[in-house]
Amino acid sequence: MIEIHGISRIYMREDGTPVPALRDVSFSIGRGEFVTVRGASGSGKSSLLNILGCLDTPTAGTYRLDGEDVSGYTDEQRSNIRCHKIGFVFQSFNLLPRTTAVENVEIPALYVGGRVDRDRALDILGRVGLAERAGHFVSELSGGEQQRVAIARALMNDAPLLLADEPTGNLDSAAGESIMRLLAELHREGRTIVLVTHDDGVAAYAQRELLIRDGLIASDRPLPGASAHAPDSTAAVPASG
Amino acid sequence: MNLAKTTKLALLSLSRNRLRSFLMMLGVTVGIASLTALASVGEATRQETMRRFKRMLGTFDMVIIEPGGASTRGMPSLATVEPVLKFADAAAIAAEIPAVRQVSEMQFAIDLDVKYRDKATSPSVIGVASNWTEVRGEEIAAGRGITPDDVASLARVAVIGQDVVTNLFPGENPLGQTLRIADVPFQVQGILASRGVGPGGASMDNTVVIPVTTASRRLFNRDYLTAVIAQLRDPAQSASAIADISALLRERHGIIPPVEDDFRVSSPEAQMTQVTEVGSTLTKVLVGVAVIATLIGGTVIMSLMLIAVSERRREIGIRRAVGASRRDIMVQFLIEAAVVALIGGIVGVLIGVAITLLITMLSELSPAIMWSAVGGSVLLSAGIGLVFGLQPAWRAANIDPIEALRS
Repeated sequence: MIEIHGISRIYMREDGTPVPALRDVSFSIGRGEFVTVRGASGSGKSSLLNILGCLDTPTAGTYRLDGEDVSGYTDEQRSNIRCHKIGFVFQSFNLLPRTTAVENVEIPALYVGGRVDRDRALDILGRVGLAERAGHFVSELSGGEQQRVAIARALMNDAPLLLADEPTGNLDSAAGESIMRLLAELHREGRTIVLVTHDDGVAAYAQRELLIRDGLIASDRPLPGASAHAPDSTAAVPASG
Repeated sequence: MNLAKTTKLALLSLSRNRLRSFLMMLGVTVGIASLTALASVGEATRQETMRRFKRMLGTFDMVIIEPGGASTRGMPSLATVEPVLKFADAAAIAAEIPAVRQVSEMQFAIDLDVKYRDKATSPSVIGVASNWTEVRGEEIAAGRGITPDDVASLARVAVIGQDVVTNLFPGENPLGQTLRIADVPFQVQGILASRGVGPGGASMDNTVVIPVTTASRRLFNRDYLTAVIAQLRDPAQSASAIADISALLRERHGIIPPVEDDFRVSSPEAQMTQVTEVGSTLTKVLVGVAVIATLIGGTVIMSLMLIAVSERRREIGIRRAVGASRRDIMVQFLIEAAVVALIGGIVGVLIGVAITLLITMLSELSPAIMWSAVGGSVLLSAGIGLVFGLQPAWRAANIDPIEALRS
């Protein structure tokens, strides 16, 4: 799914001195993997996530996504990739205010051809356990519910890759737990998930952990508990969030 | 993103922030409303002026010959008419210019007292030939007009306009009565049908019509005319008729260019154009001001859009993250500006039409909605939205999604 080879990302300070955020990073993530990325703030994990999400382009190196070399893509092409292949889930949910849940879910469908399929958006909301909240404004939803709406939005264009940046960071532990179970279920369906987190409990859902330090991959190891966690968990999506 | 989706999105976004949308619309609405109203009222006024002109002139198949060179202006009084245009000139025009069907000699003055018993008024006193009613398209409401016999015999008979009837003969039948024009007695033998107001807004019914010969010999004591109307066989030939008449009169008056003509020959169209031009120039200036007002409305849209763009950075970041390209964002904000301006424009047109109807109703003009102005206004407002939306849309499209999502 993801093949990164020799990726660097160097920012320029205003005085012209280069600040490397990523240095010659290489790894690959197979289709259907659930990987966590961990690292201290300033370690380069945000830069990595931006590149993986095609929001940013690497200064050097190649990035192949789903077999396609996207490292030299134009803004237009990267937008298209984001639209069809990538679903983002953010720590702060990033839903549009003054907009209903179902309208938020529909947003990605605006940027593909054809009509906006409201039934599909409602179906997906049903899948994340929010069928009854579809017409509610975002401000009327709890944090957990808002994050479910965000996940539903990430699924609207059937993206094979989900990029989650601290998705439970703004939630209490119960709500966070249920979001993680939802992500685990999506993983079981075959989606590739890359999740940035500090939380050990959250990391336990993943199969593999990438540790980033000073713009380098400090360790890349499988998580032993993962197989026990993910495949056998048959928990349906709980109604509460 | 296609246009239908974008437009829907724009409407949704505008409806979610009503106050801002209202303020954005306001400037364009005011501009377009005044544009529509000014253009339409101007047009109604122009049409009304033309109607009055036609009423004043009667038919259009004629040219008017007046004494005095190009520098002579204004209504002639008894004192100021140049003594150059003679009965013989009129007869020569009728005899020698083939394009002329007939001529009608006129003598008039506006400064004579007309009295009946103890009442007095100062109408236009017009000496006319017997073909005057025909040439001018006048109608006799009662009694009879000036006859060839009246002209031949220098009869002291008068045909009076409706205003004179009202002023001198309230509650009385004027026919057969004797009124005095500058102390000369005249018998009223006919009443003219009303012709309403002329292009200047003054009544055209305040007239006393008498035989031109009587006017010349018994009243004004002069052998020259204040005007000769030459009726043409073909109105399309007025240009060549004017040239022929001018040449004939120059010859008769012994004028060799570059000496200035001592007469003027004009067609009613030329006169009408001159009068309506003044009005339409004014209208153009006012419409120009309204266009500027609408443009200012555009700058209001621009500044509010710029504020909106910075307020909506996060929204832009979210849309970019889920797949919107720069162009999608640009188009979204452009359409939003165009839609708000267009709605403002349409509301403005409706208000403008309402104002026009109100003004024309109050000033007794026939309503003339200028559809070209309405259509132009709608296009102008959409165009203004697009033009003034460009800078905010460009700024929105170039917001870095990473920065926007971090904030």
